Amino acid sequence: MSDLARVETSRVDATQVVRVTGELDLSNAHAVVGAVGHGVPEHVTLVVLDLAGTTYLDSAAIASLFRLAQRLRDRRQELRLVVPREAPTRAVVELTRLSQVVTVDESAADLPQASRAYAALPSLEAVVSQRRGEAAGEDPRQDGGPVPGDG
Amino acid sequence: MTAGPAAAGTSPSASAPGAGTLAAAAVDETPALAAVRRVAVALAIGLAYYLGARVGLRLSLVGNDVTPLWPPTGIAVAGLLVFGRSYWPAVAVAALAVNVPLSPSPLAAAVIAVGNTLAPVVAVTLLRRVGFRRQLDRQRDAIAIVFLGALGSMLVSASIGSAVLLASGSIPASQLATAWVVWWTGDAMGVLSVAPFLLCIPLFREQRSWPRRQWLEAGAVLLLTTALVTAAALMRLPVLFLSLPVLGWAAWRLQLRGAAPAALLATTVTTWTAVAGIGPFAGRDVLEKMVLLQAFNACIALTSFFLAALVSERMQATADLADAAAHLERRVEERTQQLSALNARLVQEIQERSQAQELLSHEEARAQHEHDVAETLQRSLLPGRLPDLPGIALAARYVPATTDLRIGGDWYDVVPLPGGLVGLAVGDVAGHGLPAAATMVQVRTALRAYALQDPSPPAVLRGVHQLVARLPAPEMVTLVYLLLDPVSRRLRWSNAGHPPAVVVRSGTSMRLTGAVAPPIGVTPDGSFTEAELVLPPEATLLLYTDGLVERRGASVLEGIERLGREASEALGASGASGASGVQPDDGLEGLCDHLLHTFLEEGHVEDDVALLALRLAPSVEGELDVRLPAEARNLVQVRSALRRWLHEVGTSEQQADEVLVACGEACANVVQHAYSATTATGDLLVEARVLEDTIDLRVRDEGQWRPATDRGGGWGLQLMRALMDEVEVEHTAAGTTVSLRRRVDLVSRPEPPPSPQPPTGPASEPRE
Repeated sequence: MSDLARVETSRVDATQVVRVTGELDLSNAHAVVGAVGHGVPEHVTLVVLDLAGTTYLDSAAIASLFRLAQRLRDRRQELRLVVPREAPTRAVVELTRLSQVVTVDESAADLPQASRAYAALPSLEAVVSQRRGEAAGEDPRQDGGPVPGDG
Repeated sequence: MTAGPAAAGTSPSASAPGAGTLAAAAVDETPALAAVRRVAVALAIGLAYYLGARVGLRLSLVGNDVTPLWPPTGIAVAGLLVFGRSYWPAVAVAALAVNVPLSPSPLAAAVIAVGNTLAPVVAVTLLRRVGFRRQLDRQRDAIAIVFLGALGSMLVSASIGSAVLLASGSIPASQLATAWVVWWTGDAMGVLSVAPFLLCIPLFREQRSWPRRQWLEAGAVLLLTTALVTAAALMRLPVLFLSLPVLGWAAWRLQLRGAAPAALLATTVTTWTAVAGIGPFAGRDVLEKMVLLQAFNACIALTSFFLAALVSERMQATADLADAAAHLERRVEERTQQLSALNARLVQEIQERSQAQELLSHEEARAQHEHDVAETLQRSLLPGRLPDLPGIALAARYVPATTDLRIGGDWYDVVPLPGGLVGLAVGDVAGHGLPAAATMVQVRTALRAYALQDPSPPAVLRGVHQLVARLPAPEMVTLVYLLLDPVSRRLRWSNAGHPPAVVVRSGTSMRLTGAVAPPIGVTPDGSFTEAELVLPPEATLLLYTDGLVERRGASVLEGIERLGREASEALGASGASGASGVQPDDGLEGLCDHLLHTFLEEGHVEDDVALLALRLAPSVEGELDVRLPAEARNLVQVRSALRRWLHEVGTSEQQADEVLVACGEACANVVQHAYSATTATGDLLVEARVLEDTIDLRVRDEGQWRPATDRGGGWGLQLMRALMDEVEVEHTAAGTTVSLRRRVDLVSRPEPPPSPQPPTGPASEPRE
C-alpha cells in the first residue's frame, strides 16, 4: 500500500504541509489519509495537503479526505488542498464537491500569506543534501518530479 | 681366642666389603699415618699369632708340640685374608718366635716357621684365586675354605713340619705318619675353627646390625653350646652330638655371625676335653682321641659353615627374589603409572579433540545457521510473488550460493509505480553473509521509496548513493535501475557499475550499455546520467547479477555475449513470437530455467545469482481482457493495464484519466461488495473494446452484492455517471456486470510509438 503513495511532511510555524506523491485508491487511502490526520500537532492551525504529485484519486480517497476535513475542523484546524487545474485528480475533486467543503488551491503559490513560505522552501531532500555538504551545486530534483504517463 | 678381639680391635674403622682387605680402604690416610697403621696391624697379627700358639700348645696331645687344634693358622689365614698377604712377615716372625723354643735347633725352627708362614699364604692365594668371599655366605665359599683354605693348604705346613721333626731326630720314622696327620688336622682345624670366627667379626660392622632379639638369641646359642659341650665333658654319656642341632640353629637363625663363635666355643671346649681325657675321651688312646675329636670338630665346622652358607645363600636368594619382585613390582607400578598417565593423556586428548570437534561443528552449525538466516532473509525480501502487471510477463530466479557463506547481497525488484510505470532493479551488495544481506535489505527498501518519490533513474540511484554513503560501514553496491512505461514501451535506465541489461529478440540481442557510472560506494561523487530506449515489440529484457555470467577462465563480457546468444537462440527455438493475449507467459519461466541450467553447474553455485526476465505483451488489437483476484491491491494493476490499452487505442490523456477513474470506481465496487458475503475472494474481470469512437468497458464479478442500503457512499456510481456517457449495472445470479460507455476523440498513433528523445550516449549496441 505504501508502495503506491509516499507522504512527505514539513512544518513552518503553524502551517503543516503534507505532500502526497503517487496514487490513492481503495487499497491505501484510508491508511495514508488517516496517517496525515494523526500527524498533526495541536498548535498547527493550517494543514495544506499538496496533491500536485498525486496521479490518481478514487472515491474511497475522497471519502477519507472528507473525514479528514471534518476531523481537523473539530480541532479548529483548517484543511486546504493543492490540486492543479490540469491534474488528473482535478475532475474527481470537483465532481465529488469536495471543493465546496475544503478550499482547493491550484498551486502552492495560491496559499495564504502564512503558508506561502512553504512554496519557497527547497525540498526536504535538497535541504538534507546541502547540510551534509554533498552533491554541492547539484539540484537533486533536476530530473523533475514524477513522470506522468506519457510525458 | 684372646687374639680374636685383639685383631678386631686393631682393625681400621674403615671397612671394605667383599673380598677386599680392610687396609686397602685406608687410601686417604697420610703416608705416615698409614705406616703407623701397617706396623700396628702387623704387630697385632703377630701378637695374635703368638698368643694363639700359646693357647694351642696348651692343647697338645703329642708331646709338647703337636696339637689337635692349632689356632695360629686360623689367625694367620684370617689376618692375611682381611688385611692382605703383605702382612706375611708378621706371621713369619711370630711363627719363628713360637717355634724357636720348641724346635730342636734354630734352623729347624726357621724351616717350620717357613712352613707355617707358607701355608696361610698359599691358603689365601688359593682362596683369592677362586673368588672367595670372607662373608662366607655362599656354599662355594664354605667349600673353598674347607678344602683349599684348611685341608689343602695345611698339607704344606704339616709336611714341612713333620719332615723337620723327622730330620732333626725329634721323632722316629715310625711316628712320622701320626705326627703328620696330627699336624695336618691340627692346622686344618685351626683354620676351620678360628678363621671363620675371626672373619665374622668385621661382619658385625659391615652387615646389618642385629636387633636386641638377635643378640639375645646369639647369647642363648653360645650359652646352650657351652652348657652342652661342658655337660658332654663332664658326663660319660656321649652327648656331644647334641651340640649339632644347636649349631644348626645358630647357623639357621644367625648365619656366620652366630655359627662361627658357637663352633669355635664347641671346638675349643671339646678339644680341651680331649686333652684332659675326660668325658667321651676318658680311657682312650691318642689315636682314638684324635679321630673322635677331629671327627667332631669337622662335623661342627662343616655343619655350621655349610648350613650358614646355605642359609645365607638362600636368604640372599630370597632377598634377591624379593628385590626382583620389588623391582618388578616397582617396574610394574612405574609402567602402570606411565600407562595410566598415557591413558589419562589419551583420554584428555580425546576429550580435547571431541571438544574441538564439538566447537568445530558448533562453528559449522553457526556458519550454516548464518547462511540459512542470510538466505531466508534474502528470499523473504525478494518479491515472493512478482506483481501481477497486466500486459507484462515477468519471471525471476534467485539462486543462493552453495559454498559456505558466499550467499550475499544479490537482489531484484519489480516496483509498480504511479501512472502505470514499472521500476525494475537488479543489484549486488559486495560482501557476503548477513552484513551484505542486511545492507541489501536497506538498499532495496530505500530504492522502492526513492522510486515512488521520483521514479527517474538518476534520482533513484542518487538516493541509493546517499543512503549507502550514510551507512555505518559503506558497502560497494552495483545496481542497474530501469523505469519502464509499458504504455509507450519507453525504457529509461541508470547503471552503477552493474553488468548491462540485455534486450533479446529472436535471433538478436543487445546490451544496454549506456549511462554507466562507477559502483555506488566507490566514489564520493553521486552523479548519474540516464539513457533510454524504446523497447522493440516482443523484446525480452534480461536483468541479472554477475554470478550468472562470471566464469573462471572467461571474461564477463564473454559471459554476457553468451547470455544474449543463448537467450536469443532459446527464444527462436520456442517460437515465442506471435503469441497473443494480455497476460502471456510466453515461455519466460522456461527461458529462466534454460538459462540457469545452461550457465550454472548443478549443486555448485559460486556466487549468488539473481535473474529477472520481462516481456511486454504484444500490442492489443482493440480488446482488453483482464482477470485478477478481486483485491484492493490489484486495482493499480487494472488501471495500469487499462491505461496502456487506452493509450494504444489512441485516447487522449485527459479522457483516458476520466475513463480510468470511472472504471476504477466500478472495480473498487467489485472489490468491496461482490464477494463480501463469501469467505473466498473471487475474480475481478475487466473487458474493454473500442467500437468506432466509443469505449465500451465491462467490469464483471462472479459474486453477490449486498443490498444497496448497506453500501453507503455513493460517490462511486456518481463519478461513473459523471465521467461516462452510459452506466448500466446488471445483477444476476451469476454475478454483476457494470457496463460503461464513453465517446472519445481517438487520435491515430504510429506503432511502435516514437522515442521521445534519442538515447544519451552509446546506449544500445545491437548485435548481429
